[in-house]
Amino acid sequence: MPAIETEGLTKLYGAERGIEDVTLMVEPGEVFGFLGPNGAGKTTTIRTLLDLLHPTRGAARIFGLDSRRESVAIRRRLGNLPGDFGYGKHASGREALALLARLRGIDDLARGEELARRFRADLDRPLGRLSRGNRQKVGLILAVFHRPDLLILDEPTSGLDPLMQEEFLALTREERERGCAVFISSHELDEVERVCDRVGIIRGGRLIAVERVEDLLGKTLDRRRVKVEFAQPVDLDDVRAMPGVAAAEFAHPTLEEVFLTYYEEGSG
Amino acid sequence: MTALLAAQLHERRRSVLSWGLPIGLWSGFVVAIYPSVEDALQKAIASYPEALKEAFGIAELNSVEQYLSAEMLSLIVPLAIGYLAVRSVASGLSGAAESGRLDVLLSAPVSRSRLVAASFGATAAEIACVLLASLLITALSSLLVGAGLSFGLALAGFANVWPLALLSAGLGIVVTGWSLRTAIVTGSVAGVLVAMYVADLVGRLDTSLDWIRYGSVFRYYGHAIEDGIDPVAFIGVTATAVAIAAFGAALFERRDLTQ
Repeated sequence: MPAIETEGLTKLYGAERGIEDVTLMVEPGEVFGFLGPNGAGKTTTIRTLLDLLHPTRGAARIFGLDSRRESVAIRRRLGNLPGDFGYGKHASGREALALLARLRGIDDLARGEELARRFRADLDRPLGRLSRGNRQKVGLILAVFHRPDLLILDEPTSGLDPLMQEEFLALTREERERGCAVFISSHELDEVERVCDRVGIIRGGRLIAVERVEDLLGKTLDRRRVKVEFAQPVDLDDVRAMPGVAAAEFAHPTLEEVFLTYYEEGSG
Repeated sequence: MTALLAAQLHERRRSVLSWGLPIGLWSGFVVAIYPSVEDALQKAIASYPEALKEAFGIAELNSVEQYLSAEMLSLIVPLAIGYLAVRSVASGLSGAAESGRLDVLLSAPVSRSRLVAASFGATAAEIACVLLASLLITALSSLLVGAGLSFGLALAGFANVWPLALLSAGLGIVVTGWSLRTAIVTGSVAGVLVAMYVADLVGRLDTSLDWIRYGSVFRYYGHAIEDGIDPVAFIGVTATAVAIAAFGAALFERRDLTQ
């Protein structure tokens, strides 16, 4: 049974368009990237799946349950990280975690504590006094601590530093291996490419493509450009002198790669 | 439901002090000065026009209970507590939507109706605690200066504010069915409460307009500190408040929760 199945899902805000005829399917154990620029309809789709918005037309089923009529049953199996996570200023992450655990009938907060250590999240400070990135870590913990069957994450790495982004990608892979379906809305194309099995692209409220990541990249593959790594340092002129080579240049590491190198050395 | 209720009560624990203490101190001050102003009051009241005295429920001011009623329980306490009630119920709904908390809570297996019920229930308990704190401070003040305030009558006077506050909270939930902006929810219900008070006042001043009082909760509010609680009005207003809250919950269930 699909984790998510939508058919002609449409949400109109009066005369304004939200999303129109969105039809997609996400399987258990699949990481699905939902791509599109701001205002394309990513968040509207997610909020309609979560029954926060009521569809104008069409339907969504999650684990075979109707998203509208059976939303409470659905949410027993679901973890959600809203875009721009917030929980008020005064409550701490631990208080939020304790309340959500009680609402889910969970007594043991060990998994939440473990995730807090892993993401270096401060669960004791009031959320209003945390930076955006540190709040986001708490939001991630609240979404994942109960080992859901479906994770819906709206811009999950927003505000996270590169180290925590890496940790998030590792966690996503672990969740996939556990059999959890992960629906990630993002415009961070790099992280989507690294972790997603399939992607859907939404533009102007309409889903215009759903493909496997490698198929999508293969379509635009430029067979004239090749990344080659030599065993030893080479002279660029020697490379340029090779038959058929039109141009050659050294590949500079990205700032993110350099940043991660420093931290990997520090942790070793 | 109990988890939500407990969490909301925990968040509102400070309001017992921040609202109960000032209202109690003000009421206590009114009670404390009564013995020293009693004679002057009698003379002043005797000079007031009958219609005015009737309108403001001050036909007589020959007891500390009547003075407390006229100074505090006729207008200031019901309006202040009514405002606190709508502010509190809104903090659990529109306030939660504004802070993002509503999205997080509705990720858990909780229905919107339960969220509304928890917010309403927490408000009812919070208001009861604030009124109790106010009553105890007032009674303590009377004891200290020997003002002779009847605890039983004062209890009736403060307790009678509770159904009115619940009605205010119920109206707040109805407005939340349309708007998730806390300023709009609290402002509109506060406006309705003031309009109801004015309608009741006008109806009392001009008997030909008495009919407009039927739409005002203040018609059923009365003067419990002098006459005791009218059980029919008390239960009727409470039941109406619960029915209005249930209607509001149905509206809240149907609405879109936009960011």
